[in-house]
This record gives sequence, structure tokens and C-alpha cells, in this order.
Amino acid sequence: MASLKEERLESYLIDGQERFYRLAYSYLQNREEALDAVQTAVCRCLERRDSLRDEGALGTWFTRILVNACMDLLRQRKRVTFVSPEDLDTGSYEDPLPEDGALGRRVNALPPEVQTVVKLRFYEDMSLKEISEVTGWNLNTVKSRLYAGLKKLRISLEGVSMQ
Amino acid sequence: MNEFKKAREDYESTPIPQELGSRVRAGIRQGKANYRRRRWRRIATGVAACFAVLVGTLNLSPTVAAAAAEVPVLGGLFRVMTLISYNASDGGINYVVSVPRLETDGESELARRVNAVVQEKVDAHMAKARQDWEDYKNAFFATGGTEEEWAGREMDVIVNYEVKSQTDTRVSFVVTLAEGWVASMEERYCYNLDLAENRDITLADLLGENWVERCNETVRAGIDASVDQEGFTLFFTPEQGGFTTVDESTAFYIREDGVPVLVFPEYSIAAGAAGSPEFPVE
Repeated sequence: MASLKEERLESYLIDGQERFYRLAYSYLQNREEALDAVQTAVCRCLERRDSLRDEGALGTWFTRILVNACMDLLRQRKRVTFVSPEDLDTGSYEDPLPEDGALGRRVNALPPEVQTVVKLRFYEDMSLKEISEVTGWNLNTVKSRLYAGLKKLRISLEGVSMQ
Repeated sequence: MNEFKKAREDYESTPIPQELGSRVRAGIRQGKANYRRRRWRRIATGVAACFAVLVGTLNLSPTVAAAAAEVPVLGGLFRVMTLISYNASDGGINYVVSVPRLETDGESELARRVNAVVQEKVDAHMAKARQDWEDYKNAFFATGGTEEEWAGREMDVIVNYEVKSQTDTRVSFVVTLAEGWVASMEERYCYNLDLAENRDITLADLLGENWVERCNETVRAGIDASVDQEGFTLFFTPEQGGFTTVDESTAFYIREDGVPVLVFPEYSIAAGAAGSPEFPVE
């Protein structure tokens, strides 16, 4: 009883698997946990497929499931401390200037909410509106988290599209 | 954003593990199975209710009794029936519960023992699931999760059973206890009972005195057959804590055609993606 929707989901998941793994790995920095997160998200996606009404939103819907699976694993291992973006300092003069190779690591050191916005924007090329759909945060929250992240990374805001 | 060029290149060159494909396929398989199980469960609850009524009427009407004799689960000296069955939600936990109970015509020490063991396992499972959920919730808020993010999270607690085969005097059934949330775990308990002789059926009864060798050969052949062209398998080697030998504690159920099927717990001899491996010993 393989429905068309089921087939479409399946090929989407198989085609995108490397992209999903990279995103999961960037959160978890651990091969086994990243594999677990991808498998969990894939499983949940098929299991809860009735909650996807608009198939055009498949990309954002799945990314949301995947990001939640990663966040859940991070919380489970309790290795991270969540810092609200308002408490985030904007970077002091003592912070070393980002070198090219170090930027990826600095992104990974940001608080998870801020990381999410930065990664989806610059690694996954999502618009701020799409990020807002993926995360369920309103557009202004997404914007302020992106500003906070870029400030912390000491990257100039010039040329960053705020769309 | 030139600053991100290098970071993005690093991101895109994240090495992809070889088993990613099989993990995604395993996720697809689990997801499909869970989807069907969810839908099936909604129907099953209704069926179980009818079933309970049917067992009740069995003593009243010879016509119903004659018709029921053709339903395999109701024939013979005894029957496996659903003691309790319900779907309920409470504080984010969805309970989907069907507890089996073995009923015999006369007094049976064996049936009493099995029913008590099943009940004890079910009670322990429920208590553990509630505790896991509570711990998870506490960790969620302690690490800065908000009520808004928590909303909509749910956990499935499943108790189910399946009668694998039944004759006039023997029954083989499997009780599944599962939790589904961030991680999913499943435990299965197999019961193979001979009610005429009032005892558990053993692998030696079914396979003869060299049952250990026969089972081991089957399992090893199954593991060898699972290795793909690249030399990869989800099964652990004996050095990694994988399969070494079967013994009296190895779980199994008896298929309709009388063939015993060995059942290994999740993660015991293979990676979680392999689920709970089964090997029919034919």
C-alpha cells in the first residue's frame, strides 16, 4: 500500500541523506550521534507524515524534524548550556579575530539557537523566512539571533541579505 | 559573505560514514512500520473489544462456540485473550496497551505463573517509561527548554502481544514492550508453553539433542549472508561482543509451521539499525 506520498518522501530522504548528515554532524560533532539523529528524523518523518499537509513545505518540515532531533540529543547528553541570545556578549577585544579555518569552529561554539540560524542561513542557503518556518521562531527572533551570531563572530553585516 | 567561504567548504567536506545509507533505510523501515502500527492500533482496539465480548459469549451459545473453534486463537483447551486493552493519553504520554492473559479450562499452574510474570513485566515497563519521561522533561527545562518548545512533544508507551502459533495443547506468543520518543527501545518476551504437560517448550524439544549446533550454524550463516559487497554488516564480531552461541536463555517463538525462530534483543548482537534480529531454524 505504498502511496505516492510515501514514495516521494522516501526518495527525498535517500537523495538528501548526505546533506542531512552534515547538518546533524555540525550540531553534534559526533559520528554515531549524527547517524542516530538522521535515522531518528527519517523514522519520525515517515511515521508522522500525515501532519505534512502541504508537500511543497517538505524541505522546511523535514529540516525542523532533524534540527529537533539534534537538539533533543544535545539536551539528553546535557553537554551544552543554553544561553539566551540576550545574554550573549557581543565579543570583546580580547577575542582573537576569526581566522579563516577557525570560523567553522567558532560557529560551532555559538549557543545552539544562534548556531541554527547561522548554519541554515549560510550553509544551507535558507532565507530568514524559511528559517523562521523551520524553527518556529518568529521572523524578528530569527533576525536578532542572526545579528547576535554575526556580532559574536565579528563578521561585518555588510552584504548580508536580511530577506 | 567571503568569511563563510572556508567554513562552508569545511562543512561541505564533512566525511560521510559508509553506513549512512543503511541507517537511512533502517529509519525508513522503522518509520513505515510505526506509521502502520499507529493506524493498525486504532483499529486493533476496536477489534480487541469485540474479541473480549466473543470470549464472553463462548460459554453461552453453541453456535458461537462452533464458529469460534475455527478461529485458531480460540480453539483447544485454553485461549489467549486480551486482559485489558486501551488507548489513552496523559501528560504527553500515549499509552497503547494490550495485555494478554492465558485462560485454561481447568486449573493450570503454568498459566498462573505466565500471567503473573507478564503482569509484573508490564507494570515494571509502565513505571520505567513514566520515570524516563519525567527525567527527560526535567532535563529539558533544566537546560533552558521553554514550555513553548516542550508543547507537542510526546512519548508512546506500547504493550502489545502476538500469538505466533497455537495447537490444541501448545501456544507460542510474544509480548512486546516499547517506548518511543527521542530514542526508541523495544523489548520482546517469548513464551512457548505446553499446557498438556504443564511446562515450557525448549529448543531441545523442537530440534533434538544437537540443538545448540543447529542454532549456531543457522545464526552464523545468517550473519555471513548479511555482509554486503563492501564487507559491511550491522552484526558485531564476537570480539566486539557479538554472537558466540545460543543457550537455554536464548529467546524464540514457534512459527505456524512449527519452525522455531530465534529472537535476539536489539543491540545485543548487532547495531541498533538491525532492529531485533530473527533467525528461523529450519
